[in-house]
Amino acid sequence: MSESFEPPSRRNWLLWSLNTGIAATAAAVFYPVVRFLWPRPATVSGAQEMAAPFRVNQLPNAEGNPFNFGGKPCLVVLSADGAKRLARGEPLRTDDVRAFNAICSHVDCTVQYRPEKGDIFCNCHDGVYDLNGRNVSGPPPRPLEAYKVTLRGEPGQEEIIVSRST
Amino acid sequence: MSHAAHEDTPQGPRLPQRAWAFLFERLGLEVAQSLAAKKTVPIHRCAPFYFLGGMALFLFGVQIVTGILLSLYYKPSPDQAFESVRAIMTEVEYGWLIRSVHSWSANLLVGALFLHLLTTYMMRAYRPPREFTWFTGIALLALFMAFGFSGYLLPWNQLAFFASAVGTKIAGSVPVVGEKLLLLARGGENVTGDTLARFYALHVVVFPLVTFALLGVHLFLVQQHGMSIPDREARRHGGEEKVRSMPFVPHFLLRDMVGWYLALGLLAALAALFPWELGEKAEPFGSAPEGIKPEWYFLFMFQALKQLPPHVLGIEGEVVGVLFFAAVGLAVLAIPFLDVGERSRRVLNYCAVPWVAFIIVMTAWGWFPDHLRLSVLLGTGLSLGMLVLTFPFLDRGGPARRLVNVLGAVAVFIFIAVTAWELLV
Repeated sequence: MSESFEPPSRRNWLLWSLNTGIAATAAAVFYPVVRFLWPRPATVSGAQEMAAPFRVNQLPNAEGNPFNFGGKPCLVVLSADGAKRLARGEPLRTDDVRAFNAICSHVDCTVQYRPEKGDIFCNCHDGVYDLNGRNVSGPPPRPLEAYKVTLRGEPGQEEIIVSRST
Repeated sequence: MSHAAHEDTPQGPRLPQRAWAFLFERLGLEVAQSLAAKKTVPIHRCAPFYFLGGMALFLFGVQIVTGILLSLYYKPSPDQAFESVRAIMTEVEYGWLIRSVHSWSANLLVGALFLHLLTTYMMRAYRPPREFTWFTGIALLALFMAFGFSGYLLPWNQLAFFASAVGTKIAGSVPVVGEKLLLLARGGENVTGDTLARFYALHVVVFPLVTFALLGVHLFLVQQHGMSIPDREARRHGGEEKVRSMPFVPHFLLRDMVGWYLALGLLAALAALFPWELGEKAEPFGSAPEGIKPEWYFLFMFQALKQLPPHVLGIEGEVVGVLFFAAVGLAVLAIPFLDVGERSRRVLNYCAVPWVAFIIVMTAWGWFPDHLRLSVLLGTGLSLGMLVLTFPFLDRGGPARRLVNVLGAVAVFIFIAVTAWELLV
């Protein structure tokens, strides 16, 4: 090109306006569509604290374990000492009962409590955690997220209160 | 079929001929007629491979028809999905047949596509100017796998629920964009009713529309460039133009239809003998039951991910796995650009053979996770069986062909033995 600077002609200005207008329209169309596709705010309760649907004396094979805790499955397990104490009929201590987010840290399956083997197991890819939620074998890369547990009520039949330790 | 060959009666042409001529003129059917007349199919040793694309097309047709029928009773919500599929299986007349045919046909379709891909690779049909036929073909294969994945969740059973959680999580482990992808795919943090609705919309609206568009381009390109003839066959006949051919309409089409008829029979038999299972209703907050596995065509990835350690070189195992499979997928897509000469072709083949064997062995292992011996046998049998595909490329009576004969016989024996073992023991 011989001329390095071309003064903006009327045609150039009109073309620029047209292109800008089209771009603005496209943005006005696509922005709401993208926002629409984005997940809506969780419709679940997102509870910070709740009581498990079973009591300590129903452990270790409690019905309804894991249960829905604010939109995520929550698994309650007994420590090895806790299981012994329960078998002997002695009262449980607070740290005998543990609760975890039951979503496996590998690829989001839901884990299960295996009291007879004293571990937490994921059926999808054979991941194993110990009763502290630590990943001990198989593919899981991280421990399970732990919740805080408090026991409340009549000794021997306490309610299990789980809460997010934030 | 020419409209000139009218049998005239004393009163003039008969009504059907007059109607045909009427439509022929008004709809511009000359174009279709000349296209059909132009399309020919070469006749050579590898010609049977040309049936695979048509077979996939037929099975896709079956999917459209049965899919529309299922949509009349299916309800895509977590409260009703399982019950509506159960109603289809137990209450709706012939519902079991329609659903079982849909599921079986989906599996046969993916199988036909895998074979279509493999034989197209072996015939090197992706050579210029057919690169875009290859690209659209790979995109269609990916699309049909996505069809399978999204359709798997729809009955909302335990298997489907956890398979979808795992599958979306694996897609979500892609670095950088993974987390956003996961949220978009699930419509939230977890697999919920919103996920079901998304998968349903993809399965019945989005994927079919994209498939029609891509399939249109794919078929147009096949028509445009004609059927590819393998180099070796062209040389054997002394030049591409010397290879004999048959008209597509009606000669090849009629042969196609024989295959479709057999496929229809096979589908009916499979649906009647092995109706598709429904399983148990999904419990989103329950523990995953035993035996969670995806459809067989994802099984090799599933099994491979299962074997990976938690961390590889400081990176999470699943991320490494996902990146590896993505790289292989890209390499397969890029084959037309990677095959640039005798040497690169040999390298490609050296990669392709172990890869196919890997897929087969991993699939067999995923199928019988607790029977290592059985899966080794099945993997070996199927891998040997795949060698039969090389049969047309080998010289008649030559030592290589004799070897394939023997290996093929061994493969058939192993396959029968494994099947009998599995059924009887």
